[in-house]
Amino acid sequence: VDTPHQRQRGPRGPPPPPRPGPHRDSGLSLHTGVVPFVALLLLQRRPVAGRPLLVTGSGCPSHGLCRSNVQEQTRRQVAVLNATAQELFSLYLKCQGEPFSSEADKLCNPAGIFFPTFRVNRTSERKEVMVAMYKLFAFLNASLGNITRDQEELNPMAKDLLERLHNTTKTTRGLISNLTCLLRKNYNIFQVDVRYGDSSKGKSAFKKKQQGCQVLRKYVQVIGQAARVLLPHLGPS
Amino acid sequence: MFSRWNWVACGFCLVLNICSPDASGGLVQSCGHIIPESPVLALGSNFTALCILNESCLDFGNIYASQIIWKIKNRVVPKEQYREINRTVSSVTFNDTSSLATPLTCNILADGQIEQNIYGITVAVGLAPEKPKNLSCIVHQKSQFTYDMTCTWNPGRHTFLDTEFRLRYSWPEEVFPDCIPKGVNDSCTITDIQFFVNTEIWVEAANALGKAESDPLVVDPIDIVKPLSPQNVSVSSGILPTVLKLSWENWISDAVMTLKFNIRYKITGDTSWMEVPAEDTASPRTSFSVQGLRPYTEYAFSIRCMKEDGVGYWSNWSETKTGITTEDQPSKGPPIWRIIDASCSPASWTVHLMWKALKPFEANGVILQYEVTVRDKSSLSSPLKKYNVTSTNHTLQLPEGTYEVTLIARNSVGASPPSILLIPASNSKAPVKNLTALPKHDKLWVGWTAPNNYVLKYVVEWCLVSSSSDCIIDWQIALGNVQGIDLKGIKPFKCYLITVYPLYADGQGSGQSVKAYLKQDRPSKGPTVQTKKVGKAEAVLTWNHLTVEEQNGFIRNYTILYKTIDGNETVVTVDPSKTEYTLSSLTSDTLYTVRMMASTDNGSRTGPDFTFTTQKFGKGEIEAIVVPVCLAFLLIVLLGVLFCFNKRDLIKKHIWPIVPDPSKSNIAQWSPQVPAKHNFNSKDQMYPEGSFTDVSVVEIEADDKKSFSEQDLKPFDLLKKEKSTSEGHSSGIGGSSCMSSPRQSVSDSDEGETTQNTSSTVQYSTVVLNGYRDQTPVQVFSRSESTQPLLDSEERSEDHAGGADTTAQRQQYFRQNGGQDENNTDRQCFERAKQVTHANEGDLVGFVQLQVSGESSQPLGLGMEKNTQEAALSNVLQRCTEGQAVRPETVEENPLSVDDMPKSYLPQTVRQGGYMPQ
Repeated sequence: VDTPHQRQRGPRGPPPPPRPGPHRDSGLSLHTGVVPFVALLLLQRRPVAGRPLLVTGSGCPSHGLCRSNVQEQTRRQVAVLNATAQELFSLYLKCQGEPFSSEADKLCNPAGIFFPTFRVNRTSERKEVMVAMYKLFAFLNASLGNITRDQEELNPMAKDLLERLHNTTKTTRGLISNLTCLLRKNYNIFQVDVRYGDSSKGKSAFKKKQQGCQVLRKYVQVIGQAARVLLPHLGPS
Repeated sequence: MFSRWNWVACGFCLVLNICSPDASGGLVQSCGHIIPESPVLALGSNFTALCILNESCLDFGNIYASQIIWKIKNRVVPKEQYREINRTVSSVTFNDTSSLATPLTCNILADGQIEQNIYGITVAVGLAPEKPKNLSCIVHQKSQFTYDMTCTWNPGRHTFLDTEFRLRYSWPEEVFPDCIPKGVNDSCTITDIQFFVNTEIWVEAANALGKAESDPLVVDPIDIVKPLSPQNVSVSSGILPTVLKLSWENWISDAVMTLKFNIRYKITGDTSWMEVPAEDTASPRTSFSVQGLRPYTEYAFSIRCMKEDGVGYWSNWSETKTGITTEDQPSKGPPIWRIIDASCSPASWTVHLMWKALKPFEANGVILQYEVTVRDKSSLSSPLKKYNVTSTNHTLQLPEGTYEVTLIARNSVGASPPSILLIPASNSKAPVKNLTALPKHDKLWVGWTAPNNYVLKYVVEWCLVSSSSDCIIDWQIALGNVQGIDLKGIKPFKCYLITVYPLYADGQGSGQSVKAYLKQDRPSKGPTVQTKKVGKAEAVLTWNHLTVEEQNGFIRNYTILYKTIDGNETVVTVDPSKTEYTLSSLTSDTLYTVRMMASTDNGSRTGPDFTFTTQKFGKGEIEAIVVPVCLAFLLIVLLGVLFCFNKRDLIKKHIWPIVPDPSKSNIAQWSPQVPAKHNFNSKDQMYPEGSFTDVSVVEIEADDKKSFSEQDLKPFDLLKKEKSTSEGHSSGIGGSSCMSSPRQSVSDSDEGETTQNTSSTVQYSTVVLNGYRDQTPVQVFSRSESTQPLLDSEERSEDHAGGADTTAQRQQYFRQNGGQDENNTDRQCFERAKQVTHANEGDLVGFVQLQVSGESSQPLGLGMEKNTQEAALSNVLQRCTEGQAVRPETVEENPLSVDDMPKSYLPQTVRQGGYMPQ
């Protein structure tokens, strides 16, 4: 993953689409060996020179697409991810075969991997929630891209799994776009430093499967929390 | 000298340049070029091109801009559009590029007025793209997680240039790869879409003349989704017989999109759908119970969905699923009717009860059996009779009376309400009035006027009228308050007999009938006409009625069309009840072609042609002609006979004139040789006068003014002998015997001469008596040699004498013998005598010449011997004369020997009008 680039993009724009391939692998972490990344919040910064912010405070300079429905769209996206996360994880385990099918708790324990902290609750400030969400889904977007790449290599015939991975990745991508809009529009946040996970590139198949399993299991846990947290903040008013 | 070589070199160079106009970058450099190179021009704009000559060509070719000629294709551009900018540059200007064509060439007029091409360019003329309009997009769900978005737009006018359309879309901070249409310019499909993100979509059109963008369409793809219709739809019956539960699965999870639904249903076989109220299915669900259905009825269901908030598109209807509601007890009793057959015995009825199976929505299940109960209303004490029947009819033998029949249908759930039919002893109640049957809206409507009394219901019976089978009755019950119903199951072009019975509470009215067609057509065939009788001026035509199957409608009339071969057709319309018609006023002895046409309200059909010929004569006409003619003929014959009878003497005188009896002639008395009469007397008596019929009479015309002596006749005799010789042997009239040795005799076969000769030479008559058949001739007259004319008195006396002698001896006459086979010496023939033309009846003079066989040396015995052969001779003679118009006659050869006859004869003066006795 072109992590520095991601860091630069931050809330100024969504990360590149998680297309198949290792382009979003955690290359930076490999290069630097520094964990964790520090998310830098660059406030009140114009992403593009010469493009003024709207007087209304809109932070979405592109064609006025950052509309009022983005909040609801964001909530619906999180809800979709939450609704599909468990099925995705189960299908993933099923497709990996043994021993993951039978020993998921042991093999997929996410304790040993990096996963963005999501220490917000329903009483947290909305801005804080939005930033945490951005970090989370930027991480997930990259991780899902890597998992998809690995599964295309390891289980090319698992069409259903691959399709779900693609859709989940796409959803996170749209979610990042909406969160960027919200951060800019509502809080004038134009940059968020994001830390990505370890790259699975070069690892064994088992390790790739295990790493994906660990990420997805943690993802199932966190996405539920995020959905619950987000509901009062982005729920229909 | 240099200049000459210079020109040669220049010319060579020019040729090379010209031969390689596009070789500017190659071996040979062009003498010039055009600016701009391959321009793309807007249609209708102005355009200026420059042709720039190379300096090198100026030096070698001595060519200048003033010599440039511009051409469009092969057409020279008018020089008014040229402009010589300097000695190497010439421009051409077009005020309207629509007049341009490609290629545009720059040419030069070299020495010798040879036009050479310098350079050429292609010119493209077109339009800039218009702004694409009406951009719209729809997201099609392909599978549970797969969607694609298809956008369509109006590309605008045709640009005549290669124009590229691109569908572009972006998120707030991200622009995606363009969607480039393939093969079309008005739609493109994006496969990578994401819900819940506002997406800006627009179309960009670009060509060499410009670029245009459509208005952007900002949309969340979730709002333009056309989802897949629900899958795995199933129908299950509930507890209630009027409820079916519909279940399905949605392709889209509620997290992505909540759905609302439309449910439609219909009874299987129906065409129209019913829909569950939309508000009942406006919330997300995967099942729904449809209520208010009919028991034991199969329903078909289909469902569709769309985004719950109504933004987006409805899915297609799902595939149809069917379900059957559970049974319920029958809702009504079966309609019942009867046919009473009293043909065997009026006192005993055969009652055919028949009822209709309940419709599914009335039966509410499978009817297991029918219960028939018959109650004799005329006898309260008679027990009820019950019958369980599984079919829809039942036959009973009942004595005549009034009965009440009750019918109940039963299924697995319960029994129907009873249907009651009253069978009265007689249908004495009032019938319906004004019964009519009309086709209405493709149905046969039967209407009537109700009787004055209250009617419970009506029974309408109908049957298909057929010529080949019995009328099978169908029936229908109508309520008492209606006065008309549509009959069901009626076929077009068929004749139906419809009968309506009113049913009262206490009896039944008599039936009224009418025939009707639902739809009429022209007859399927025409009548076959033929003649029953053909006369001179009339013909009786007959035909058979068309069968009811052939009629296809009510026959309104028959039309007879007849004509002669070359005549106009005559049309006669005939009442449809008739099967015979008489054509009158026909022309006799004429061939007629007749055909017949049967007509219904909807057309006609003509039968085959039939031809007949009228007779030449009418009936009795021939008889009227023939009978009178025959009668007239008979009358004439009768009158003729009577006349002849009355005038028989006169006729006899003319036809068979009385020949004086020579024996009583004075000549006979003075003749030295008188035939021995006594020799024949006995014979004469054998022949009564009446039987003396065969007489040959030779009439010889004599010139009464001349008298010839025998000597005078000799030369003529010689001549005659010569002639006879040439003609063969002939026996003369009278005494010559054909059996005698051939001797020459005078023949009169040569008519003119003979007549003359005869008249001039024959003054004698010879009477030869022939015996009748095999009898000996009675009398033989020998040639008279007297020249003395016969006296009238003698003649008359001889007549009398002849008449007197009939008892004594049979008078024989000579008859004139026409020319016959005188040459035939093998036959006994008489020498033919000349027939003398009589000046008048009174001048009849006949000479009968008896030619004497000069050489007759036959002994008498021979003659007698020959007499014994009379029969044979007679027969031969008869044959000989058959070919003549005279009666066969027997001419007896003179039995006397010639030696016995006088050797010579004296010429005899013949007096006109008499016969000369010999």
